[in-house]
Amino acid sequence: MKRKATITLIALVLGALIIGVPLFMYAGGGEKKATVTFFWALYDGLTEEFRAELQDAFNAAHEDIEVDIVPVDWNLMHDKITTAIAGGKPPELSVVGTRWLLEFMDVDGIVEVSQYVSKATLDNIAPGAMEAKIGGKLMGLPVAAGARILAYNADVTSVVPKTMEELRGAAIRAHDPPNMYGLIMPGQKFTELTDFAYHIYAAGGDFFEMKPDGTYGKSAFNGPEGVKALEFMVQMAAEDEIVQDGYLSLDRMSSHPIFYKGKGAYTFIGAWVESAYNQAGGTFELKYAQIPPFEGDDGTTLIITDSIAMFKDAENLEAAGVFLDFFYQDEWKAVFDESIGFPPVTMSAARLPQFQTPLYKVLGEAAMRSKGWPLMAEFAEVTDIIWDANVEAFLGEKTPQQALDDAAAEIDRLRGM
Amino acid sequence: MGTTQTVRRKGHFWATDSKYAYLFLLPATVFLLVFMIYPILNVIIMSVYHTDKLGRFMHFNGFKNFADLFQKEDFLEVMLRSVYWTGLAVAVKTIFGLVLALLLNVEYKGRKILRALIIIPWASAVPISALLWRWVYHHEFGLLNHTLKSIGLSDPPVWLGTPISAFFSVIWVDIWIGIPFMTLVFLAGMQAIPQDLYEAAEVDGAGALQKFLYITLPGIRDVLLIATLLSTLWTFNDFNTIYIMTKGGPAGGTQILITYIYQNTFEWWKWNNGAVMAVITFIILSIIAWIYARFYFRKGE
Repeated sequence: MKRKATITLIALVLGALIIGVPLFMYAGGGEKKATVTFFWALYDGLTEEFRAELQDAFNAAHEDIEVDIVPVDWNLMHDKITTAIAGGKPPELSVVGTRWLLEFMDVDGIVEVSQYVSKATLDNIAPGAMEAKIGGKLMGLPVAAGARILAYNADVTSVVPKTMEELRGAAIRAHDPPNMYGLIMPGQKFTELTDFAYHIYAAGGDFFEMKPDGTYGKSAFNGPEGVKALEFMVQMAAEDEIVQDGYLSLDRMSSHPIFYKGKGAYTFIGAWVESAYNQAGGTFELKYAQIPPFEGDDGTTLIITDSIAMFKDAENLEAAGVFLDFFYQDEWKAVFDESIGFPPVTMSAARLPQFQTPLYKVLGEAAMRSKGWPLMAEFAEVTDIIWDANVEAFLGEKTPQQALDDAAAEIDRLRGM
Repeated sequence: MGTTQTVRRKGHFWATDSKYAYLFLLPATVFLLVFMIYPILNVIIMSVYHTDKLGRFMHFNGFKNFADLFQKEDFLEVMLRSVYWTGLAVAVKTIFGLVLALLLNVEYKGRKILRALIIIPWASAVPISALLWRWVYHHEFGLLNHTLKSIGLSDPPVWLGTPISAFFSVIWVDIWIGIPFMTLVFLAGMQAIPQDLYEAAEVDGAGALQKFLYITLPGIRDVLLIATLLSTLWTFNDFNTIYIMTKGGPAGGTQILITYIYQNTFEWWKWNNGAVMAVITFIILSIIAWIYARFYFRKGE
């Protein structure tokens, strides 16, 4: 009898533990604080110390709110948010590529940030940085906005190219492998299609036709400008061979360190270049210039803006708004901007002396002649397809024209065009 | 009369220890139902529905989802590559595992240390191993090319840069991770074979190859079947290695079904495509498991 009672007790305790613990955890274990989860993108130059300091400082100043800043690799961010939304447990806040907002709006996953952020914070943001204002609604708070530029190693080249053709010539002259590569260019697919964008924009082209009502029509990246762009990239990589060895196996995160190490003459890059170069212990003279247009073309450069989105199904959006007001003070946001190297999006930080350097001057000029990604819900798949077309052209499996035509046909089909 | 029997049976059941068995099984059963059976059923239902971008069922599509997918050239390529990936990896792991198990089954000094060392790839977390190998293959800073350059090979291959070299580079990592499991399972099987059989064979003049073919191999037949079955299931579903090293590239050269499911579902939000492919994977792996089971239990009969 005693044995049976013991066995029954063990079974009940085990059952209670197995069922009860998850329930207790789900219920928050009696936690009374409003928890704000923030998916924090790991930008180059951003340190773990800063993330921890920001989190600790906010939590110390707010007894009723606990912020949990979760670092996430940029390349995994889109998938992480997607799975979180699909699973019905999105974070309160996340850094997102502004171009992703359309997807999240498409699934009714995000809310207007202006509902939760104070007027003082919103009024301090430069109007030009408000790319996330869609249909008159601010769907993301700008966190980083920067046009892409050309960085070069002034120890090996003094040529500031005025055209892409001049850049190619200068890169050929500087190329001395394996000690020095003319151009550092990623060739392995990563989350963004930046290098093709730099070239097609430099040729005056675009990804899609623009309809009179402002929506996107059929693919245009396989037009003369896109083909010219890809042919030029293939020429530099596969024919001139002035791109770093093994470029097809190197994405952005693994190819740019070669430049920071002083083994590349030129590279197309973003605002993080200076802080990443410093963090990598770069020793050469680093200079900046505009990404040049092709000869005779009225080219532009790419500007990328990232935003902080607030997710509709999250529990503590009011508390998340309080955190954003805290984070957007110069004491934190200016340090964040300086770390990642992006020009500040807040007007008060833009006046600080640390943002009056040659890098920020070049970035400011680049922003004047730049344009962003197409804002469309299917852009993740579009990016993958064009990336594969680029790689097929690099490998010589298809000509640039064939590769882009096939990609355009596939994209038009999937968009129902 | 019938009522009395029911009462008696019920009373009989509650008077035995059987109820404790059911009581102990209950939590595991609930877990299985909630976390395995329900998701499987949900995916099967999803595969015949049109879904929105959050995976919500919109309208019944029947087998149109399957028909659409089979018309995609990419999908058929990925299917073939998955079969090739699995077949090649499991075959190599089995051969390496057998050879290493034979070497570790012989008495010599340092055998215990070698046995401990061989488990390292298996004991390490797969994402860590994949990250490690990604850097080993790095063209500029990687250990492999550094070594090749230092021995005079001035232009080493770009391991992850072309579809073919990337495929074999990544499959090697899957093999490297899987070999210790095969080795240890085969070794355990070999150690269960009575030594008398080898001694009797030696007396009869059998050579090493004959002893391997007629004693060792039949002796480890069961573990061989189980180990290759498990390895087939794991290899077919090896997402981590590919996703971390190449994300299925370059140009889809390392894309297999499991990574393609992920890409369709979580990157492109095509949930019904992902569900169809998951159902196909489930069917393929169930057939493989059923064939193995037939072989395994035939011996018992």
